[in-house]
Amino acid sequence: MSNKLIDFINISKSYGTQTVLDDLNLYIRENEFLTLLGPSGCGKTTTLRILGGFETPDCGQVIFDGEDITNLPPNKRQLNTVFQKYALFTHMTIAENIAFGLKIKKKSKQYIYDKIKYALKLVNLDGYENRMPDSLSGGQQQRIAIARAIVNEPKVLLLDEPLGALDLKLRQDMQYELIRLKNELGITFIYVTHDQEEALTMSDTIVVMNQGYIQQIGTPERIYNEPENAFVADFIGESNIIPSLMLKDRLVKILGVPFACVDEGFGQNKPVDVVIRPEDICLRKPGEGSIDGVVTHLIFKGVHYEMEVRANEYDWLVHSTKMFPIGTQVSIHVDPFDIQIMKKPESEDEEAVNIEE
Amino acid sequence: MIKKYLEKIYLFLIFILLYAPILTLIVLSFNNSKTRAKWGGFTLKWYSSLFQNEQIMNALYTTLIISLLAAVIATVIGTAAAIAIHGMKQKWRTLYSGLTNIPMMNAEIVMGVSLMLLFIAFHVTLGFGTILIAHITFNIPYVILSVAPKLRQTSRRTYEAALDLGASPLYAFFKVTFPDILPGVLSGFMLAFTMSLDDFVITHFTKGPGVDTLSTKIYSEVRKGIKPEMYALSTLLFVTVLVLLILVNVSPKKDAETAAARKHVRRRSRAGRILIKRVIPVAICLVFVGGGIYYASKGQMLTKEKLIVYNWGEYMDPDVITLFEEETGIDVVYEEFETNEIMYPKISSGAIAYDLVCPSDYMIQRMRENDLLAEINFDNIPNIKNIGKDYLERSKEFDPENKYSVPYCWGTVGILYNKTMVDEPIDSWSVLWDEKYKDNILMQDSVRDAFGVPLKYLGYSLNSTDLDELNEAKDLLTRQKPLVQAYVIDQVRDKMIGNEAAIGVIYSGEAIYTQQENPNLEYVIPKEGSNLWIDSWVIPKNAEHKENAEQFINFLCRPDIALMNFEYITYSTPNTAARELIEAESIRNSKIAFPDLSTVPNLETFQYLGTKNDEVYNELWNKVKSK
Repeated sequence: MSNKLIDFINISKSYGTQTVLDDLNLYIRENEFLTLLGPSGCGKTTTLRILGGFETPDCGQVIFDGEDITNLPPNKRQLNTVFQKYALFTHMTIAENIAFGLKIKKKSKQYIYDKIKYALKLVNLDGYENRMPDSLSGGQQQRIAIARAIVNEPKVLLLDEPLGALDLKLRQDMQYELIRLKNELGITFIYVTHDQEEALTMSDTIVVMNQGYIQQIGTPERIYNEPENAFVADFIGESNIIPSLMLKDRLVKILGVPFACVDEGFGQNKPVDVVIRPEDICLRKPGEGSIDGVVTHLIFKGVHYEMEVRANEYDWLVHSTKMFPIGTQVSIHVDPFDIQIMKKPESEDEEAVNIEE
Repeated sequence: MIKKYLEKIYLFLIFILLYAPILTLIVLSFNNSKTRAKWGGFTLKWYSSLFQNEQIMNALYTTLIISLLAAVIATVIGTAAAIAIHGMKQKWRTLYSGLTNIPMMNAEIVMGVSLMLLFIAFHVTLGFGTILIAHITFNIPYVILSVAPKLRQTSRRTYEAALDLGASPLYAFFKVTFPDILPGVLSGFMLAFTMSLDDFVITHFTKGPGVDTLSTKIYSEVRKGIKPEMYALSTLLFVTVLVLLILVNVSPKKDAETAAARKHVRRRSRAGRILIKRVIPVAICLVFVGGGIYYASKGQMLTKEKLIVYNWGEYMDPDVITLFEEETGIDVVYEEFETNEIMYPKISSGAIAYDLVCPSDYMIQRMRENDLLAEINFDNIPNIKNIGKDYLERSKEFDPENKYSVPYCWGTVGILYNKTMVDEPIDSWSVLWDEKYKDNILMQDSVRDAFGVPLKYLGYSLNSTDLDELNEAKDLLTRQKPLVQAYVIDQVRDKMIGNEAAIGVIYSGEAIYTQQENPNLEYVIPKEGSNLWIDSWVIPKNAEHKENAEQFINFLCRPDIALMNFEYITYSTPNTAARELIEAESIRNSKIAFPDLSTVPNLETFQYLGTKNDEVYNELWNKVKSK
């Protein structure tokens, strides 16, 4: 990946007494598919709106392509937005919607015509020029909204939960479509969502946010496998988060039982949080694992069974393709590299991060 | 089954109740006979004579101009206000939309009076401008009310999307937000236009002399007795408002339909857009330009010499005014009032600077005592010599030095009776208490006239302030009440002509007219005495064209002009030179028109008795009427 295209420097924003963003620092590289992920109210949409020019930060700077655009009005910015509810102009045809930005830029008729053709082809909606937005399905409207944005050849496309209003199947199809588009256009996508699956599927980089703070920045794999704190671990996928004691390097005491792990540098006898993904837990016969317990819940989920195992006064969430009926005596085994150690929050700011909305 | 029938009957009754009055009016507008009671066949003549009436056509044009201007301006202001309110934070939005709603709940009369007071306080001359401002004011809340819900439906995101695509805020508003709220803006405009079109109360309070909208014109015409043209006009007004209301209420639906239709068909939307983009603005511009020219030409007239006259309804031959204008080049703005009591506050408030007013005797006394009158310069009125000495002498009862007033008309109050219904000779007020004539008696519906009858009958003064005497009079009136068919003012004339009553208390001037229409009617001044009244010209202190006013008085005192007016009004003239010119001997020497003042005893003019006594009279009169 290449150089920084967008740089947020010390951005803060609050509405009344409610702080939405607190001293946010973030940079976005060219041609990156970056996702802002977090629960609603975490500040991800505000971040996007500050970049789009619809909100002005209370303090801090937004640098775009080396230029300070903090106070530039939205119509002067070289980026385009795809809104959550499409925001198509309902009194205009599809062609007029797509041509809107081009007409303002005083492009020639032929150029506009070609662009409309090209954009409709790109979003697989050939021949829809003269339809009205109302007559299109949600997915089609969303693709028109994307077409309307990309004909302006923005350097960056901002997408504010664009798939939020669509049903599951359509959402999955559109995810692939967006990845394809991004690769064909070769521009930067900044994507806002609260759906972790969407984020994991499409992004080059995920920024996990909560309560106006960035919790973790990383690739999807890193975010999933090595969450830096309990919030990220909890928000991305399902997990067992257990307060534990780091005895020394590579050894952690979980629920009174020492486990081998691969983490180092947390010090000796330090309280930590341990994350163990449910699919990383292996159920064995009693006595053959680290902790013995009994199966208390069982649900069939299709790909796997979801079970709860009561062991050492903790309900372990376990995913397994093998079924253990309720009441079965089992023993829990975890491989050392499947144990993720996280620092306990120390300061108040970090504590706030842990409060779920 | 029964329930269903009952439901239908109920619905039918409600519709009868709602529409019977309007239907009656519409039917009467096509009635070929002048009286309401008879159906004289179908005719359109009232419609054609309506369109030939220049004053009404002027009022119509004024109405349209005011309604349109007020609606356009209110739509612009109201839409902008709605957008601003929409953009506020919740707390402020609630407050402001509440504040803009209050004027709608407010009683119109409160709004009208307060606007008038405001204009007076800031020394704004009442006229076209003040009506326009008033209309804009009361229209704005309606526009906000119809635009606001549309704004709430409109997503802010589409506006932002337009900005995002490079549109400037203004371009984004007109291209994206405005089309979305357009149905609301249009129905707000229609609503405002309709409200303006049929407003009476607020216009009544904020209008100045010479400017009339249809509603105020109809009102002033109706005061003189309802002419069938008014039925025609009211019918047209009703139909217009009905059509507008249908347009307002149907258009959103139509919008939805066309929107549905143009999903696939593109052309129709283009036709609609041409209508919105071209036809409507062109129409508006045309009316603007037309209105501009019209008022510019009117404005030129205003720069000429001017005279603002405030007179009783139907109290001057219109040709007299035309003649005066032709002879002098002075532009006469002519306004009418119905009673002294309506006229008085207009003068005392100073809202309008009338130049010449024609009050009755006791009101002249009151205006003089309240220092509202200017002394007349009689050097400018040489024709005063034509006024009989008797009348100037009588005038001293309210204008002791003959300094403030010039007599215009005079007369007596007496009994008008129908000889076919009354077979005895009548010479006393006592007939009004005769059980024989139960439900055949018409009394005057004004305090002083009503009390004058029993006071004179009892042998007291018309101007009595003695409580015992007044109570006696009150008791007589109360006793008389079951016998009385109606307490009326102008309708005495029409009802007596139409043989609807046997006996009525009436002014002598009306009596002459009724005799011409119905020879069975006879007028008598009762032997106990009665009221002699004089209406005279006075010049208010705040008059701006005093010399023109004096010139007009002089003109009115010219024998030929006084004769014209006498023949038009049929009220006795104090102009002895004019009386000599009357051709018909029966009228020149009529006992009704010109009774020998020395042979009729106990004739008195009313005097202003002061506010306190006025209250006593009013209180007693209310007691009589409420029993």
